[in-house]
Amino acid sequence: MNITEEMKDNISRIYLEGRFDANTCADVEKFIREKVEEGKYRFVINMEKVPFIASAGLRVILVFAKELRQKFKGDLLISNLQSSVERVFEISGLKNVLKIYDNMENALQSFKIEN
Amino acid sequence: MKVRFWGVRGSVASPMTNAELAVKIETALQLAVKAGLKAETEIPAFMKSLPCYVRETVGGNTACVEIQAGDKLLILDGGTGIRMLGLDMIRRDYGGKPIEAHILLTHTHWDHISGLPFFVPGFNPKNKLTIYGAFSNLEARIRNQQKFEYFPVPLPAAFHFVQLKENSVFQIGDVQIETLPLNHPGGSHSYRMTHQNKSIVYATDSEYKDLSNHSLRPFIRFFQDADMLIFDAQFTLLENIEKEDWGHSNVFCGIDMAIEAGVKKLMLIHHDPAYNDQKLYKIFQDASEYLEIYAPDRNLEICLASEGLTLTV
Repeated sequence: MNITEEMKDNISRIYLEGRFDANTCADVEKFIREKVEEGKYRFVINMEKVPFIASAGLRVILVFAKELRQKFKGDLLISNLQSSVERVFEISGLKNVLKIYDNMENALQSFKIEN
Repeated sequence: MKVRFWGVRGSVASPMTNAELAVKIETALQLAVKAGLKAETEIPAFMKSLPCYVRETVGGNTACVEIQAGDKLLILDGGTGIRMLGLDMIRRDYGGKPIEAHILLTHTHWDHISGLPFFVPGFNPKNKLTIYGAFSNLEARIRNQQKFEYFPVPLPAAFHFVQLKENSVFQIGDVQIETLPLNHPGGSHSYRMTHQNKSIVYATDSEYKDLSNHSLRPFIRFFQDADMLIFDAQFTLLENIEKEDWGHSNVFCGIDMAIEAGVKKLMLIHHDPAYNDQKLYKIFQDASEYLEIYAPDRNLEICLASEGLTLTV
């Protein structure tokens, strides 16, 4: 899993590349945890290059979204899902509780509107 | 090995309500009208065409699974499902010999032991019913359940006990049994039963919070290449995270672990008492789609455990 970050306007944009499953979930968790410990509480996860997400990945995303909302008044938004990954978000029920956007711009706009 | 499910609910027995039954009847009648049913002879074929959640129920009894392995009768957990198993057992032909059965308990939360006082073969002192458990004070815990404060009749003499250690490996006849501690408040233990090169793993009441490969390795190793994995899929993934530390799991996690371990058949069990048949079959359909997305080329088969379901491994 390749993970990169771009920080702008106090929003951390995280780009994932590769399968998000039991083999890679610990890397993503560690990466985001470090950012949270640095005081970053607003994230957009761009998953354009994630061909598959397993329960391990879903769990990491949901746990962080919950923590950021409840403890820090922040959030973790999702953007650019491939269709099969979007379907996994739907059937797992996560689409109902996470904010998911077609593209990064719309996700960023959502943060700006909230401000 | 022959497997029969007698209790598939978790937490507490949850019989179907009149309202739920009425919905099933109403739905079936609506579909009958739509199908233009005209004669009684058309009913059997029509019944088969109904959705599973209309024509069946997964059942409301708590954990109990029977495994016949050669001449050995193994019973996994003594939830309320064991009552019906006991009634069935006394109708079977044992050639005049007493009944002998081996009851393997995962732990002693109520949904796994509350059927034992109603297990009719226990009332014949000639029968030999051996209870196994890898948690502390096995015998005292089971006897205490039948103290007068809780139940009018003490535990009968037909029951015997074998106190297991954690991570035990032992034989019951030619069945090899292995145990593994699971993640559950107060503890729970998985059993792996191997007979004539076929393996069944019973792994209920376990929560997997860290889903990284490193953390799951002991469980994957224990489940490795099992012909059947009977897995705690009590919650939806969302509810699993909301009910952190309740000690249960979800179907998506079960599929991921089963694929990683090379399991052939995944049985979903320990259904939440708040989930009706329609919700459970929806969860099963979603799980099937997830499997199709995740690993379309794998041979894993998934199945919703329901009362009365009998399978051969």
